Order: sequence, then C-alpha cells, then structure tokens
Amino acid sequence: MASVSFQSVEKAFGSTKVIHGIGFDIKDGEFMVLVGPSGCGKSTLLRMLAGLEEISGGTIAIDGKVVNDVESKDRDIAMVFQSYALYPHMTVADNMAFSLKLRKAEPKTIEERVAKAAKILNLDPYLKRYPRELSGGQRQRVAMGRAIVRDPKVFLFDEPLSNLDAKLRVAMRGEIKALHQRLKTTTVYVTHDQVEAMTMADRIVVMHDGRVEQIGTPLDLYDHPGNLFVAQFIGSPAMNVIEGTVRRVNGTRHVEAAGGVLWPLGNETGSEGQAVSYGVRPEHLRVTGANDGVPAEIIVVEPTGAETELLVQAGTAQVTLVTHGRPQVSPGDRIGLGIEQGAVHLFDQKTGQRIGA
Amino acid sequence: MKLSWRRISKEAKLLLIGIPVLIWTMLPIYHLFLFSISPKEAAFAGHLWPDHPTLRNFEIVFGEHHYYLSHFWLQMWNSFIIAVAVGLLTLFVATGAAFAISRLKVKGGRAIMNLALFTYFIPAAFLAVPMYKTMGVYGLLNNQWALILAMLTIAAPYSIWVLKQASDKLPYELDEAAKIDGASPLQLFRLVYLALMMPSLVAIGTYALLLAWNEYLYAFLLLSNERQITLGVALGNFLAADDSPWELLMTTGLIYALPPAAIYYAFKRYMVGGLTAGAVKT
Repeated sequence: MASVSFQSVEKAFGSTKVIHGIGFDIKDGEFMVLVGPSGCGKSTLLRMLAGLEEISGGTIAIDGKVVNDVESKDRDIAMVFQSYALYPHMTVADNMAFSLKLRKAEPKTIEERVAKAAKILNLDPYLKRYPRELSGGQRQRVAMGRAIVRDPKVFLFDEPLSNLDAKLRVAMRGEIKALHQRLKTTTVYVTHDQVEAMTMADRIVVMHDGRVEQIGTPLDLYDHPGNLFVAQFIGSPAMNVIEGTVRRVNGTRHVEAAGGVLWPLGNETGSEGQAVSYGVRPEHLRVTGANDGVPAEIIVVEPTGAETELLVQAGTAQVTLVTHGRPQVSPGDRIGLGIEQGAVHLFDQKTGQRIGA
Repeated sequence: MKLSWRRISKEAKLLLIGIPVLIWTMLPIYHLFLFSISPKEAAFAGHLWPDHPTLRNFEIVFGEHHYYLSHFWLQMWNSFIIAVAVGLLTLFVATGAAFAISRLKVKGGRAIMNLALFTYFIPAAFLAVPMYKTMGVYGLLNNQWALILAMLTIAAPYSIWVLKQASDKLPYELDEAAKIDGASPLQLFRLVYLALMMPSLVAIGTYALLLAWNEYLYAFLLLSNERQITLGVALGNFLAADDSPWELLMTTGLIYALPPAAIYYAFKRYMVGGLTAGAVKT
C-alpha cells in the first residue's frame, strides 16, 4: 500500500497541451476516482501514473518516490483496462499467473496466489477456461484477478465497467467497492460516469479540459460544488441553472431571470445587480399551489414508481423537478414552484465560481 | 413452390458459372494426369481415357530410370529444402519487422516498409540480372544460398506488409497489459505476440514456401549444376531434347504439384483468413 502524489503534472502531445499542471495527493488506502467528460485528460493522467505515457512536466511520486523515469513494471502497480486486455491464448489461471511467472516467482507461490485471488473473485470454476469462453462480467473479474495476484502498491482502473450492460455494471460496482474494502489497496479509478464516481469514491477529482475543477468527498462535491461545471456535472438529473441578476424586490432578495421571473434567495451572498447563475437541484424543488412560489407550467410528467420527474417551464427556463410522491398533475397544469430553504447555489456568471459558502 | 423455383433458378445460375470454371481449371490437370498414365506411344492419341492405362511412368520417375531423371530424388529434396528455408527465413525476417514497425513503433519503420514494397514496382524478371550479378559478387553463384536469399528478397516485402496489417489489428492494450505485468519487448514477442499472430504466420510461411517451390526463373539463373538445381528447373531441361519424353515430364510435373496442393489444403483455413487479414482497413 502506498500514497500517490501528483505535483504540477503536465502532458503535451506535440504542441497540444492536454494536462495543465495538475497537483493533488492520494492517501494510503484511499479509493480516488478521477471523473470528467471525455477528453478531459483523466485517462491520460492515469496512464502517466501507470508509466504508459511520458510525463511532460512535473512529478508523480508513489510512496514518496518519484517515478517519472521508472519503468511501468518497476512501479509496482497493476492496471485493469476498459477492454479487459486478457491474453486470449491463455487460460484464466495463466492470465492471472503471467506477471508472477515473468517475475520468476516460485511455482508454489504462484499457485497459492492465483487460488486466493480466484477465491476472492469467485473464479474457481473457470480457472481452466479461456477468456473467449467467459461472459463480460467474468472477463472483468479475471482482469481484476490479474491485478490482485500482484499485490501491488496501487490499483489503477481505466473505465473498467464501460463495456458492461447496465445491470452488470451496478453489480460489478459493488464488487469492486467490496474488494477495496477488503484489500485496502490504494486505488485510482477513472470513469466518465458521475454515478460510478459518487457511489464508489472516498474522494473524487473532477477534471475538465486538463485541469482539476474540484477535489472532495462525493457528498462534499454534491452539497458544495465549487463552480458551475462541478455543479452541473455531479448529480443526476443535473442541477437546474437559471441565469439572472440579483435584485431586491419588496424588501426580499431575488434573482430575476429573463421574462421577469423572480427566484427567491435566502441567506446566500451575492451583491445587488450582480449577474449570477442560480442553481437548484431537482429534489429541492416542490410543487405548490398556482399562487405560491415561482409560477410555472408542467410540460412532461415521468413517473418511475418510487419517484416522479417533472419537466416544467418557468418563464424562459426549463426546470427539472424530482418528487418522491405521485403528484396529481398533468401536462399543461399551472403550478407554483417551492424551493427548499438553503438549497440554492449561486455562481458568478462570468467566472462560474461559487458565491459564498 | 414459388420459393423453390427461385432457389432452383439461383442454383442453376451458380452451376452455369461453376461448371465452365471447373472444366476450365480441371482440363489441363486432367491432361497432365492422362499423360502420366499413358504409355509413351499412346500419349498423343487424344483419347479421353487411354486404352491401356499404366503406372509404368511413375515407376520410371521414382526409380530414376531415365537420363533426365537421374537425380529426381535429389532435385526433389533440393526443392524441398530451399522452399522450407525460404519459408522459415521469410517468417523470421517479416515477423520481426512487423513486430518492430507495428508494436514497438520504431521510428522510420513505416518508411522502410514502404521502401521494401517499392521493389514490387519493378517486375522480378528485370531484377534477375542484377541479382545474378550481386550473387556473383558475393561468390554465391551455384550455391543454393543464392536462390534462398533471392527468394527471401522477393517474398519479404509482401510478407512484412501482410503481417504488419495483421498485427495492427491486435489490441494495443494487450501490449500495455504485458508491459505493466513486467514483460520486456522480447518476452512480449515470444509469449504474447507470436501466439496471437499464428494464423497469419502460417499463411505467410506457406506463401513464401510455395513461392520458392514454384520458382523457375531465379532457380534457373542462379543454379546450374544438376546436383544443385530444383526439380522445377530439371523439368525445364526436358525441353532441351528434340524428342522430349512428354509422358515422363507430365508425370514428374504431377508429382511436383502434389506437395503444394497438400500444403494448401492443410492450411487453407489459415490461408484465406490470413492473407485477407490485412486486406480491409477496419
């Protein structure tokens, strides 16, 4: 087990800079998720840590030792690829034993470690099979088994669940999490799926355009997004964002959006006249009487059983609302929108940075 | 009923094309076969089946009972050993080159491959004389190495290209996984790459082997001692006589054609898959 440290890490392909000086630390035993839209540099960063890409600038250290010039195989890491990258001509057991054989481990040790990994991952019945004879989930487990037998300092996962169907993805998510809780190995996990990031991570690094937008625990990012990008990236359905200006009307402060719609403000700071983005999560909105709250009209009703998702039009803005009940409303109904106290996030329109706490 | 009519008409169309093609290809082979089982005096009789079919010709060939056939077995062996050597050497050169260009991404590798392919712009026949001269300079004339090296030169560019295309299709993550697992480039080559390339390797090995087995021009030019020449060249020498023993020529030709047919049949699964492997960019 080990800590990992990035310091002003940069990456350029030719003259194109894809990573602009990233720095953060991963604690010993931590499950760190790098998340961001495709092209944000998260995979590149992981591959630099793995030694598959050169580091153009800055340093990466594992367990306090700078590894910029250390070969992949000597970094004591193990990686699980999106495409599994199993050796097609080797059995499951040989796939898992390959790295140990290359390192000239004792046959007895190899056998023990493979058996142990197979047991952890429920792969016992498949040890003699070839990858082509396995299902997607089983292949994914073999790929993990290959990493486990190494007993490395750091596990690296590069979008390992992207090739699986939705149901299996949820199941494997749980397995990987359970595995981490059992082995407590430092883990760096790359995904573009914010739900995966939220459910699995100890801490999340949100990346965008080769920069770190915010680092924090899942709920920290959810409750206190540091900027508009994080606010809209984390959470599903995404946070509603309404552009407007801070105004004092009838003694109380509001954000006035296009069409004169007034969105109430509580204690949130933000100076009068400031152009802001008003953010509120779908579950912090509720349906009230037509004369209460922000006037709106229902466009779409999507019942999912446990919850109901409503798409409503308020002025020029379309807003999503999630409620646990089964409101008796239908498209075309005029309603009012109530907003939970203290649930509003304000961002500066120009910089996108959070205003206030 | 309608469906079966359609099926019949479709089958009929296929047969209409298939039968002429079959006759077209089989007729010369049938002739070859007829000659080989006909006695000398009946060879040109023009019957569809000889009056007195005989295996006497095979006896003469296998027993080396004719002036032109006095080294039949030796020449057959020459053909064999040269073909196998060309096959193996081509594989060695082309696999290494393809691995270096496609997997290790050696700088300038692609340019070198394209240069090699460039040699195909010049017909092999035009290169024969320069090649003869080159082998003379190296003192290899009349040495079987001359033919082996010449055939290797001709077979290698195409082989490198096909293998490079095939290995481009292997997922690059495999290399990366092996790298992280601790494999050196040589271990990657030996333990992962070769196993995955096997179909293409069989196809290319067979291609080079058959190319050398069937070669006449270079074999004729570079080897002249009758204990050195291949059976193909020996067959050509039959024509030097005023009264060529056609039935023996055809018999030997038939025997000479059998190993390639057998090899092709044994590996046809790989040949089709392997030689077209690089054909389409996917």
